Amino acid sequence: MGDPRVPIKSPLVPVVWALGSAALAYLLMGETEISILEVGIWAILLAEASLVSLPASSGNRLSLAIAVSAALPFVLISEGSVDLAAAGAASAMGLLGTWMFRTLRSDPAEEVMAAVLRHGFGVAAYLVVYTGSVSLAEIIPGLAGTDWVRLVAFSIAASLWFLIETSLWASMVFGRNRLSRRYLWLLAVKDWAVVLSLLTAGALFGFAWGKPGDPARLGFWAIVIAGIPYGFAHLAFYRSQESRRTYGQTIRALSRIPEVAGLSPKGHSDRTSGMAIEVGQDLGMTPDEVTDLQYSALMHDIGRITLNEPSILKMGFTDEDIARWGAEIVAEAPYLSRVATLVRQQHQPYRRPGEERDLELPLASKIIKATSAYDHATMELGFSPLEALEVLHRGAAYDFDPDVVQTVRRVLERRGVVPA
Amino acid sequence: MHGAKKRKIQIGTLYAALGALVLAFLLWQQSFPSITLWLAFAGAFAFFDWRSVEVNDRMLMSPTVMVALTAAVAFGPGTAALGVASMAALGAFSADDVRQRRWFQPIANFGQMVVTAGVSVYILEWFLRQAPDASSGDAFWLWIAGGSAVAATVYGLINYTFVTVAVRAVFEKRDMRPWSNLGQLLPSYLLMGFVGGLLGATYTVLPVVLPLVFVMFIVGYLSFASYGQLREAHEATLRGFIKALEAKDLYTRGHTERVAFFAQLVGEEMGFNGTRLERLRWAALIHDVGKLAVPRDLIRKKGKLTEDEYEELQIHAHVVEEILAEVEFLRPMVEIASSHHSHYDGGGYGGVGHTHGEQPSPEACILAVADAFDAMTSTRSYRMALSQDYAFSELRRHAGSQFDPDVVEALARALSRSTERYGSPHLASEEEARRLAEGTQVTSHG
Repeated sequence: MGDPRVPIKSPLVPVVWALGSAALAYLLMGETEISILEVGIWAILLAEASLVSLPASSGNRLSLAIAVSAALPFVLISEGSVDLAAAGAASAMGLLGTWMFRTLRSDPAEEVMAAVLRHGFGVAAYLVVYTGSVSLAEIIPGLAGTDWVRLVAFSIAASLWFLIETSLWASMVFGRNRLSRRYLWLLAVKDWAVVLSLLTAGALFGFAWGKPGDPARLGFWAIVIAGIPYGFAHLAFYRSQESRRTYGQTIRALSRIPEVAGLSPKGHSDRTSGMAIEVGQDLGMTPDEVTDLQYSALMHDIGRITLNEPSILKMGFTDEDIARWGAEIVAEAPYLSRVATLVRQQHQPYRRPGEERDLELPLASKIIKATSAYDHATMELGFSPLEALEVLHRGAAYDFDPDVVQTVRRVLERRGVVPA
Repeated sequence: MHGAKKRKIQIGTLYAALGALVLAFLLWQQSFPSITLWLAFAGAFAFFDWRSVEVNDRMLMSPTVMVALTAAVAFGPGTAALGVASMAALGAFSADDVRQRRWFQPIANFGQMVVTAGVSVYILEWFLRQAPDASSGDAFWLWIAGGSAVAATVYGLINYTFVTVAVRAVFEKRDMRPWSNLGQLLPSYLLMGFVGGLLGATYTVLPVVLPLVFVMFIVGYLSFASYGQLREAHEATLRGFIKALEAKDLYTRGHTERVAFFAQLVGEEMGFNGTRLERLRWAALIHDVGKLAVPRDLIRKKGKLTEDEYEELQIHAHVVEEILAEVEFLRPMVEIASSHHSHYDGGGYGGVGHTHGEQPSPEACILAVADAFDAMTSTRSYRMALSQDYAFSELRRHAGSQFDPDVVEALARALSRSTERYGSPHLASEEEARRLAEGTQVTSHG
């Protein structure tokens, strides 16, 4: 993917930004008791925080800017209520700064723009809903202005922000690849833990920082109180993300052992899993199911390592044996028990003569059977893609599930190897 | 075994008595804190205590100390020690213990945790009484922060003393070296205690932050837990694969596991811990992975390999190593593993991780000794297993040239402490072992 970069390196840019945003803030804020300096400081913090990001499970990067924005309605208060104008001005200036800083860092322009837009919409909804909920509570006597009302208002507003952020992400990424909106949204929702800890850290900081003159104000201790627990969480996310990636790499490496030993065709497991993922995503699997499918497709032929044994070669073997041996190997790792089941069932026909179709058979196993057969036909038997697809169609009576075969065709059409 | 059981009863009784004593003293001295607050913290404490996460080799991480000190400051002087000690008493009994009918662990834990929590919080209370009013600003926060850091250090020290005494008394054979671990753990204890105290103080000024603090704890904890699980899954996967693949070969069955065991023994003996020990164990696990891709008849061939066969073996082994080296995380382990055939004096053939003429890394030396020791003390296709003493005399004979002398002695020391003997009880020469193997027809089971 090419990333168009905007060549903004001129030292004049920060100056232009400062002047422009000061003018903007002046226009936005009108009459308020919060000084423009204070708003400016929050804006700079927001922009700086956007440079600190951590990887999330969706592949999306979430930045500390979320935490800073979450703190805004707690710290920008005038006459006892949230100063929406000041908070809006700080967000607008901060997002402008984000755009500028990240462009200077040569982040892909498109990605920066998308992140700024998402954050902008999210934070706008957050600020409005938070303020609205707090004022709504004023109707009920005795509740007005208490900390607990602010906590509830924060929870409502933060949930809405999360919904907006994830939906926007899903619809922005949608269309750039073949994934469905639902799949993308589920992918984004997997980041809930990171987002939750960012929002909570922001609110914790906001409560503790307080507003000037408040007796319960903690001031700079707020940085320690919100910062250190967040630091622990940050470290934990980082490490768990890292080990998830490494684990995937190890599985991929292990799946190649039978191939380098010459017991299974080179690249077969990789190609099969690549196509299986696409088929699974098209058939509406969730991201977690797709991960299982990916692992089992990678290891569907691992049982072939057993063919190292000359005595076994002499005795002969069937596909069922390969599947069984493979499942035995995979089952040695307790974490992969689901994958072992999928590997064991990969050779089974979806229907047997005179019987109804086997409803117990997992979709993933059926996908592996079809995609593996396709790869075998094209790469080893030398069939053209169309001929290979014909093999699948002819096997649709018993061996290959017709829905899966249809989807394989769709994937091939999309790849442009088979005419539509 | 009889002695161990007796000592278990002694330690259990002693700890439980100490715990009961502390609890009785606190009951007499203090009053109970607010029950709702106590329930909230006791729930969090038990949740974290029952699910410690192993973040690094044998290093358990659990934010209980943080919860304990947050609770202590939130309860306030006069009730804190009793409140936290009773939370700890509850945390000592987990559902797992009850289900598996374990008695020693919960009883010893009860004493250990009540004393740890009671004493450290009692010390913290002194600081809480000295601290000025919250409205005085920084002075208040500094007193709380200092007090909780001191209390956390005391917490760590008492906890480790109890664990060390119990482990030394009950499991004689295991050399835990807990004090060296404590050095690594103390900073995180200190930091967690410090934050815990500050969070408790924040609660006294601003009760609304309590749910936010709990959310933060739980989210962070869950991620650490998932990291721990993945780390375990990763090792289990690699271990399981190698075991399953090895099982096909009668002669190398269990070899990897044993080499990993010997390497770990030597590593511990030489003072490795944490990441370094883990890396050594992983390297031992993959040290023979190259062979998995080599046709069996080549591995199992009796007599010498021809030049071509030898070359084929090398190519296969290196291809697999290269594949694993593509996994960033595994690269350092693969380098250790692939240089385990190099000699201590720089000779021998090295893999990707070794250049000829250079001294291999200490890890590679350990792996070489562990591999050679297991090869001699287990039966191979061309000869029967040799005795442990013979293996040591062989290792010593080549110490300084092929093997690192320090490593050989470390292995000898570690094994002399164990009652386990490896290898054949009587076979004392290579020739005899080879001659015996000629006579036996070993059949393979696929």
